Amino acid sequence: MEQQNELSFDTLVIGGGIAGSEAAINLANLDYKVILVEKDLSLGGKMIHLSKVFPTLDCSACITTPKVSETIRHPNITIYTYSEVKNIVKVSDKKFTATLVKKPRYVNEDLCTGCQECEDKCPVVVKDQYQYDLVGRKAVYVPFSIANPRVVNIDIENCILCGICEKVCPVDAIDFTQEAVEIPLTVKSVIIATGFELFDPTQILRYGFGKFKNVVTAMQMERQLVPTRPYNSVLRPKDGKMPDNIAYILCTGSRDETVGNPICSQICCMYSVKQAQLLLGALPMADVSIYCMDIRAFGKGFCEFYQQSIGMGVEFHKGKVAKVTEKENGNLILRYENIENGKITEVEHDLVVLSIGVLPNPEAKLLFNSPVIESDEFNYIKQTDELVCPPQTNIEGVYVAGTSSGPMDIPDSILSAGAASACSANYIRN
Amino acid sequence: MEEKRNIGVYICQCGSNISDYVDVEKVREEVAKINHVSISKTTMFACADATQNEIVQDIQENNLDAIVVASCSPKLHLDTFKNVAERAGLNPYNYVQVNIREQCSWAHSDKPVQATEKAIQLVKAGIARAGYSEALIKTKISAENVVVVVGAGVSGMRSAIELADLGSYVYLIEREYFVGGRVAQWGELFTTNETGKETIRRLYNKLMEYKNITLFTGAEIISNTGTVGNFDIQVKIRPRYIKPGCKVDPEKLQKVIDACPVEIPDVFNFNLTTCKAIYKNFESEFPEIPAIDPEHCTRCGECEKLCDDIDLGQKDEFVNIKAGAILINTGYDPYEPKTGEFGYKEIENVITLPQLKRLIELSGKELIYKNKKIHNIGYIYCVGSRQKDGENKYCSRYCCTSTIYTSIVIKNKYKDIHNFHFDKSIRTYGKLELLYREASENGDIFLQFWDEDPPVVSRNGNGTVVSIKDMLSSGKELEVDCDLVVLVTGMVPRQDNKIADILKAPLGRDKFFNEIHPKLRPVETVIDGVLISGACQGPKNISESVKSSLSAASKANSLVKKGEIELKPTIAFIDKNACVWCDECLKACPFDAIIKVQSDGKDVAEIVEAKCKGGGMCLPVCPENAINLKGYTDNEMEAMITALAD
Repeated sequence: MEQQNELSFDTLVIGGGIAGSEAAINLANLDYKVILVEKDLSLGGKMIHLSKVFPTLDCSACITTPKVSETIRHPNITIYTYSEVKNIVKVSDKKFTATLVKKPRYVNEDLCTGCQECEDKCPVVVKDQYQYDLVGRKAVYVPFSIANPRVVNIDIENCILCGICEKVCPVDAIDFTQEAVEIPLTVKSVIIATGFELFDPTQILRYGFGKFKNVVTAMQMERQLVPTRPYNSVLRPKDGKMPDNIAYILCTGSRDETVGNPICSQICCMYSVKQAQLLLGALPMADVSIYCMDIRAFGKGFCEFYQQSIGMGVEFHKGKVAKVTEKENGNLILRYENIENGKITEVEHDLVVLSIGVLPNPEAKLLFNSPVIESDEFNYIKQTDELVCPPQTNIEGVYVAGTSSGPMDIPDSILSAGAASACSANYIRN
Repeated sequence: MEEKRNIGVYICQCGSNISDYVDVEKVREEVAKINHVSISKTTMFACADATQNEIVQDIQENNLDAIVVASCSPKLHLDTFKNVAERAGLNPYNYVQVNIREQCSWAHSDKPVQATEKAIQLVKAGIARAGYSEALIKTKISAENVVVVVGAGVSGMRSAIELADLGSYVYLIEREYFVGGRVAQWGELFTTNETGKETIRRLYNKLMEYKNITLFTGAEIISNTGTVGNFDIQVKIRPRYIKPGCKVDPEKLQKVIDACPVEIPDVFNFNLTTCKAIYKNFESEFPEIPAIDPEHCTRCGECEKLCDDIDLGQKDEFVNIKAGAILINTGYDPYEPKTGEFGYKEIENVITLPQLKRLIELSGKELIYKNKKIHNIGYIYCVGSRQKDGENKYCSRYCCTSTIYTSIVIKNKYKDIHNFHFDKSIRTYGKLELLYREASENGDIFLQFWDEDPPVVSRNGNGTVVSIKDMLSSGKELEVDCDLVVLVTGMVPRQDNKIADILKAPLGRDKFFNEIHPKLRPVETVIDGVLISGACQGPKNISESVKSSLSAASKANSLVKKGEIELKPTIAFIDKNACVWCDECLKACPFDAIIKVQSDGKDVAEIVEAKCKGGGMCLPVCPENAINLKGYTDNEMEAMITALAD
């Protein structure tokens, strides 16, 4: 592995999603030098992949892309994408060391223009993780149309090393000899903004995800509703038919002891209510039903947004779905206890959306070598002074922003990032 | 002004937000025909970094003298593209944004042909306006690195500390005589089990370490004549009637309090008890010295006889403060139920959640209310929140968790108490769900009512009964004997909210302070330099309030720390020759931005640049047409109208 000279900054922000970008911009505006490290190929985290966001129904990409571009252009922010940090050590007060690992893209970022000639010619097709497996992508690819940086990357695991990309690249940017580069790093403070993971619904066998094609996750539905949607319409996967009777199963993987996640994911009620509203717009003839234990519309404007969905005709049924079975035509039978009348009920829908919950990103903990960063019983980063200094962790100088400390919606993530940057600035200053 | 001859036009697809309904290529073809348009392009996302760079390159390579982007609302991206122009060396006011998303594709999704037609017209009008656009220079004003924080509750104190740490001078202004706001009234807090008093003590002790924080208690802002960077604030400080150097001796203080003949309901305990006109709510309350309530004190002088530190001759003081920014942290009031609402004030053992929390603080080993030991508590949720018929449509966010946490505290503290929760579905979001689980495991009974069928509280002999049609048992009609009924009252905006008028800070539909955008600018208001955080912005728990106050502190600091602030140049200007000073513009301006001055021997209007928001209210009322708005001149508007009428 190649070694490079040490880099030195005021603050290391780990994670380039909305919380990380917000924290970095705040600090940069206070004149601190920030290094932002993102392990994925581009910035924007999960938010850049969303359609419209509750409760204002703003286009998510339209809020995220300018934020991303502000982050990238800010003179006080240095960005490393497709890079990771490890071995964070607190050496002394206001001095942390770490190792930055820049993973090989097998593409020279400075040369690549994002023309996608190579992508066009690449013979390999695999599932596109950024479209949540709804469609395919090539082995050499730009992650998604509004990705920033907009350069290609070679998925070396799936690449067959045919060399076509190298031949067609007009600027000779393809470089199979690239290796990971390790760069020693010194900073004065650290902000953890590593975000969350989504619950894997294959764990709940009785909902049939992965087996019944017309059972999709809410993230897959989200991708069908975004401006850059793959089918330019909402289609059910089994037969490409436009669904007209859609069901949402809430608390899939949340408030559920059986999957080890007893807590509430805080966002699924509202994103489901939002998707239901968008679906009524996209498919005016369709019916949308939401099966839930409760609807947790607690934030500013949320309850009004929930009431609006009732007014639009979204149906809410109180009851946790016990089981989903598939009919021959691909339709699905949901079995649940209708709490309002106490009856076991079976209903048929032609598309089922699982409102999957939020899980901690377990990698956040592993970045720290000494001292060890403490986490709570669910593996979220532990807030050691939740009331008076919410971003504070067990290590002075290390602060937490966004969903690294627990489930959170976008407005709350942004506020927590603002708080983390304020604490970080103070730590460095005093 | 000479017309621009070299205009670049960019039509955004907004993914498919626009291009699904507006034929963007057709729009491009149509506008490309206009003489002065030298570049016309369509783009997937005009706001994406790659497109921004392309526009910069186009401007520089082709010496464009104006650009037009037809995309979304200028509310979202006007500044984005102004920055693009600026980066390319073009004056940002030679940029015009046309909204073909909200105004065309979203509004006319049922009529794509007409939506396209409308888009073409709007873009043509935008190009016409760009043709007459003028290069405008931002003015800079000096800014005091001083921030006034209004309200010394947990959120305000936290902001003050953060701001002081970041190097701003802070005036912390508290209306009450003591700091701590609502949190000082609470006992154990979720989720740390620290008490409210302990939290406040921690913050107060920290606050006192700073030389660059001045705390005023018993103080209120009564006027403001300045604007961002240079707010000119007058603060009225009510007398405390206690000499500042007073060293409190608790025993002596008790004697003085005992001697006071005035007995009034104690609002700190939500009227559960009474207090005297000289008071201190609890021993470790800050500032340490007590206060005399001027409204109720009869000036009988009994206290003065016992203590030399009392000075009933103290008068109101007035202090003027110059500040660069103001941070409103005024918190909330608990909803006050109407008489008869679930038996409130009609049935004696119906109280509110805040009263219950004070009752626990005031109780010893047993929970006693009106001399009766409590066994069964019924909690009725969503009183004053999520109202079906009332005005408060919003959810108060903290109360489900707060009630459940209180019920757990009660279970831990007292024996033989049963909790019955009459709720509308429990919203213990996130990790707070664990408290709900704990309460359930404690044996609490949760019953749920339908929106349209709330529970009924009635007298039954000596007792009180709560009746409910319970959703969780499929609509069974149940009755529970309760010897204490607790109305879970939500948060409402401060009833005395004069500060909103004084600072002209806008309120939302829910009457809480309104931010510019919940995701883009969550702690700023449309009044430059006036920021908001904590529960004055909408219901929040302590941790959430503190997060927002930290966030607001860093925003306020970054605004004023550089010592100067740029102002938008899009403001009104007056043709002094034409002006005859009729004062119509003065009356029309909501921001007091117009003053009368002498010019060439006559009275004329003048614009106070730092106050003018470019609202344009003064323009149409001027009988002499002597006012114009930079960036929206008559030339530009007439060119747009001509293009639209074409």
